[in-house]
Amino acid sequence: MIIGSQKPIDEIWGMVKDFHKVLVFGCNTCVAICHAGGEKEAETIATLLRMRASQEGKEMTVDFSSVMRHCEPEYFVPVMDDLKKYDLILSTACGVGVNFLSDRTGTIPVYPGINTSFYGAVESPGDFVELCAGCGNCILHLTGGICPIARCSKTLMNGPCGGTNKGKCEVSKDIDCAWYLIVERMKKLGTLEKLAEIQPARNWSTSRDGGPRRVSLEHIRAYEEQEEKKTESEGGKK
Amino acid sequence: MSGESAEEKKGTHFQRVAALKETRPYSPCRAACPVNTDVQAYVGFIAQGRYTDAFEVIRSVNPIASVCSMICHHPCEQSCRRCSVDEPLAVRPLKRFALEKSSEYRRNKRRLVEKTKGKSIGVIGSGPAGLTAVNDLADLGYKVTIYERHPVLGGMLAAAIPPYRLPREALKEDIDDVVAKGVEVKTNCEIGRDISLKEIIANHDAVLLAVGLSSSRSLNIPGVEGPGVLLAIPFLEDVAFDRKPDLGKKVLVIGGGNVAMDVARSARRLGVANVEMVCLESAEEMPAWKWEVDEAVEEGITISHRWGPKAVRREGDKVKGLEVVKVTQVFDTNGRFSPTFDNNQTKLLEADTIIITIGQMANVGFLKDSAVQVDDRGRVAWDPKTQMSSAKGVFVSGEVVTGPGSAIAAAASGHKSAMAIHLYLQGEQIEDHLPSYEKEKIPQMPPDVIEKINREPRMPIKHLPPETRCNSFASFEFSYDEETALKEAGRCRGCGGGAVVDKNKCMACLTCQRVCPYGAPVVTSYSEIRPEFCQACGLCAPECPGQAISMVSYDVREVRDTMKEIVGPLDASRSEPLVVAFLCSHHLGVLGYRLPENVRTVPVHCTSRVDVNDILKAVECGADGVAVVQCAGGSCKYKGIGQRVAARVERARQLVAMLGMGAGRVELLTADSSDGKSYATVCNDFSGRIMELGLRKR
Amino acid sequence: MKSGSNLEKVLKSGQPAVTAELGPPMSADPHEVIKKANILKGFCDAANITDCQTAVVRISSIAAAAIALREGLEPVMQMTCRDRNRIAMQADLLGASALGLKNCLCLAGDHQSFSAAGRLKGHPGAKNVYDVDTCQLVGILKKMRDESKQEGGDPLEVAPKFFIGASWTPMGDPIDIRPMNLLKKVNAGADFIQTQGIYDIELFRSQMEKIRKMGLHEKTAILGGVIVPKSAMMLKYMDSSVAGVSVPKALIERMNKAKEAAGDDKKKARELQEAEGIKLAVELVQQVLETPGVRGVHIQAIEWESAIEGIVKAAGLYPRPTFPTE
Repeated sequence: MIIGSQKPIDEIWGMVKDFHKVLVFGCNTCVAICHAGGEKEAETIATLLRMRASQEGKEMTVDFSSVMRHCEPEYFVPVMDDLKKYDLILSTACGVGVNFLSDRTGTIPVYPGINTSFYGAVESPGDFVELCAGCGNCILHLTGGICPIARCSKTLMNGPCGGTNKGKCEVSKDIDCAWYLIVERMKKLGTLEKLAEIQPARNWSTSRDGGPRRVSLEHIRAYEEQEEKKTESEGGKK
Repeated sequence: MSGESAEEKKGTHFQRVAALKETRPYSPCRAACPVNTDVQAYVGFIAQGRYTDAFEVIRSVNPIASVCSMICHHPCEQSCRRCSVDEPLAVRPLKRFALEKSSEYRRNKRRLVEKTKGKSIGVIGSGPAGLTAVNDLADLGYKVTIYERHPVLGGMLAAAIPPYRLPREALKEDIDDVVAKGVEVKTNCEIGRDISLKEIIANHDAVLLAVGLSSSRSLNIPGVEGPGVLLAIPFLEDVAFDRKPDLGKKVLVIGGGNVAMDVARSARRLGVANVEMVCLESAEEMPAWKWEVDEAVEEGITISHRWGPKAVRREGDKVKGLEVVKVTQVFDTNGRFSPTFDNNQTKLLEADTIIITIGQMANVGFLKDSAVQVDDRGRVAWDPKTQMSSAKGVFVSGEVVTGPGSAIAAAASGHKSAMAIHLYLQGEQIEDHLPSYEKEKIPQMPPDVIEKINREPRMPIKHLPPETRCNSFASFEFSYDEETALKEAGRCRGCGGGAVVDKNKCMACLTCQRVCPYGAPVVTSYSEIRPEFCQACGLCAPECPGQAISMVSYDVREVRDTMKEIVGPLDASRSEPLVVAFLCSHHLGVLGYRLPENVRTVPVHCTSRVDVNDILKAVECGADGVAVVQCAGGSCKYKGIGQRVAARVERARQLVAMLGMGAGRVELLTADSSDGKSYATVCNDFSGRIMELGLRKR
Repeated sequence: MKSGSNLEKVLKSGQPAVTAELGPPMSADPHEVIKKANILKGFCDAANITDCQTAVVRISSIAAAAIALREGLEPVMQMTCRDRNRIAMQADLLGASALGLKNCLCLAGDHQSFSAAGRLKGHPGAKNVYDVDTCQLVGILKKMRDESKQEGGDPLEVAPKFFIGASWTPMGDPIDIRPMNLLKKVNAGADFIQTQGIYDIELFRSQMEKIRKMGLHEKTAILGGVIVPKSAMMLKYMDSSVAGVSVPKALIERMNKAKEAAGDDKKKARELQEAEGIKLAVELVQQVLETPGVRGVHIQAIEWESAIEGIVKAAGLYPRPTFPTE
């Protein structure tokens, strides 16, 4: 899931200070699970902003609410009329939610209430770890199920580098060396020999480097597009 | 949109969750109560010092609340899930405490109810069933007339229950509640003597017979006729109306039920030193409640078990004693009452007076030749599905048709009859529309949950010593003092008052499952919190990132929503810091609230219920400092609370620090839960530290 | 000859090769490079010119190598994968070749967060590239040289002729992957290997035994790394904090003794430790060269280029061989 993390309140205040009616709009899926942007955190941010407004002597209404997801219109369209009562929506969804909602709120700006950190897992409560970089070309079968793109500081495909130190990355003692893990894992799996193969320079175009990405499922789109056209032509007649 | 200006919530939280509660299994105490009194709810209110709220819960279903607070056989206690931990909650004494604490409030609440329905009902008999029906019908806007043969209302409660068990002031509170609604009362009015049934039927749109079982059964043995042999009910009526009968020096009571206990103990109080009881049953088989027996024995009453009455022996007119025969068996192998005797074993129990207390029966002679049919065994023909007799518009309620039982069971019958009459008068179908008090209950606590619950013995109830209490008919039971009541109420595990998940908000994040000390939540596609595990501590709700968890027993947002009022107006010229303190209301918490002027207290049932957003709200509303006061050591009622609460306070500190106010404005304090004053001490020290940080500018 | 570099010639001649290291300055002034080049000249067969080592901005490896070459010192241009994508790298390689550079050592490079182990501010917020890794970079160099093709497949009119090197950490953990790691670099096309500093000669020898069994020592020229120790503190630091380096206690003890012999005299303590360090380095150079399968030494005297002369001489590696210019 997507892991988010708090923004400093000063930074948020910098965004919202010139608005009068602000809605802190929580997203109750990924970012709620990581305690960054669910309804609870939305309420916290709303309270902090009201306090900050009062400290600064600004007249400001700050409410909060939440829906299950910001990344599918069905979830927020039903509350759109409520959203439009505000002159700023501070979304505590991930960047996906902020973008997506922002495209659909007309003249009302949608600002980010949290930082979108990464795709991660809940290693233990309150401990979230990045395990995938969404590079668009998965090679986990070659690396013992441990992703060198997401988990090696240098995204090495033919690691480890010389920076492995007691199983940790040269970047920090707190970061596991992904290649150390890969080797240990593949030893266990009895597939260490696979690592002898040189992995060629990667095609990064499936990653962010290829520009914004889209996955379109033809079998679903074909039907949907027909339906959309129908609606359009009916709308035109009227 | 939930926000700063949260939409107006209607009614109290208790009222708002009523419908929800119907969809969930009842707490066992509630399910066991014949009128489904929400025991868990009112005990919870008592624990928080909210006595009038407790009263409202009790009175909402029970018009004979004060009566029950003295004499109820409390099936709630017998079914209490604490039985499997240590001892059940002392529910009845807590009810008494709550009612006594709210008597002023109660009296001030009495109002005339407008007669909106334009129909009138005659209710014959004012015992628990009749009184309850009158109460409900008056509330519905009907004009009600009570016909009572005794000089006072209350039926058997007034005329037979001895005052040492039921002080008449308590009964009066219940009666006054009902009468105040605007009910016509005709006392000293016996049907067939003072007024005919026909006339009553003619005068009203509907009639309710709630005449109870007002006659005592007698024995068909030699010598029973004549002076010195009394029947229970007439004897108890004499006692109730202070007509002191002459009983001689030794009284023998025949019978082993609760009424026999009343009779024997009343005889003791009439100055008879030597009171003996004789019954067919062994000590284990006796139908009387064990506590009644124990108290009677304490009072010097002796009991001869397993002897059956054979003949009353007299010297001339005067009773000499009762000849009894040995009982060999009381119940047959099928458990049916079927006594057998060994005629070779007999003895004489000497007595000046013998009182026969072997059961009651209805006295329905006045129904003879009326439209209300009575069968050849003297039972009123009655359809429990409609509560109606064979005569249209004439309903029957209470023990006259249900047989002997408890007062509260009669009240339940009264509720049903009132509803039946209402439906009848409104021309609606009665069948299948009467209230049912048979409800599914929460199962017993699983063993691993039981292990996690502190053993806390039940608070004892003080009695007058037997030698003193036998000198009068005054109540011998002391009410709990506040401290004891709070301690006792704090023993409640809040069955059924726990966490509920809003499926529309739950994202199955596992947080509740991780934090719950009792393993109550099970998360699949969403979280389900199993009520048999849940202890209603409230730890999970403030942890839920989606705010999907609410609690049945309290409003998780209430503190935040009312914080403005809690903090009150802000005084810019104050010289002392304004401190908001969240205090555990368990232990002596409620008493410990008598804190310095500058401290605004927020009682919480456990600090596990304090949300980070509650703390922030207090700061937002102007508090110079916010303290969360935990109970010291192992005294917490729940497991695994301390570290979680500490983490929340730390988070609140960080957030407040982010605003540049200084983390020190929020602190976690610890007080000695056995000493109410220590709450004041730690709050005072905290005020001092806030003073050093300085008062916030307005 | 693949490149015709001096280093290649030395190795081809079968004599043990000696390489040293020259760290470019954080300055636009070329004189530091010129000075260091002249100190090293004649005492090594080639000198590595580091590429923003420890993730700190310095004169670029290519530019400094060109200056060194001008001064008559054969450079080994280092190229890390950290800062450039394959386009920039290949462009730089063409340029380097055009400037006459003939040796290139491929490295992953220290992570940008390294910032001289925290002694400098550095640029920890920089974006790292790692478009390709060391192995892949070696492959690119080989493809350019031997197939006259860019990585993408486009032809090169004139191919850059590099003697291709790669780094290797023989004793880094997980230690059992290290021989395979070397195998990959060799298979990718590494002509020579320079290893991470070796102090634990026994462990190194056991790793070399595996390498010999794999026959890798015949496919590439392995130059064992020797980092000249300056003080007991430095040895301890390297033992505890430098990846892939472990220092036997006995060596640290020797340095400690040298330090203690000076008593409270700090200047003397430094002198004694430096002298002991050079002695130690000489022993290590000899031990490394005595190890079967090793073809040379790579002596790193970090910010202490003047130490090289003495070590090379004491190790009996002076004078260095010369070859007539073609």
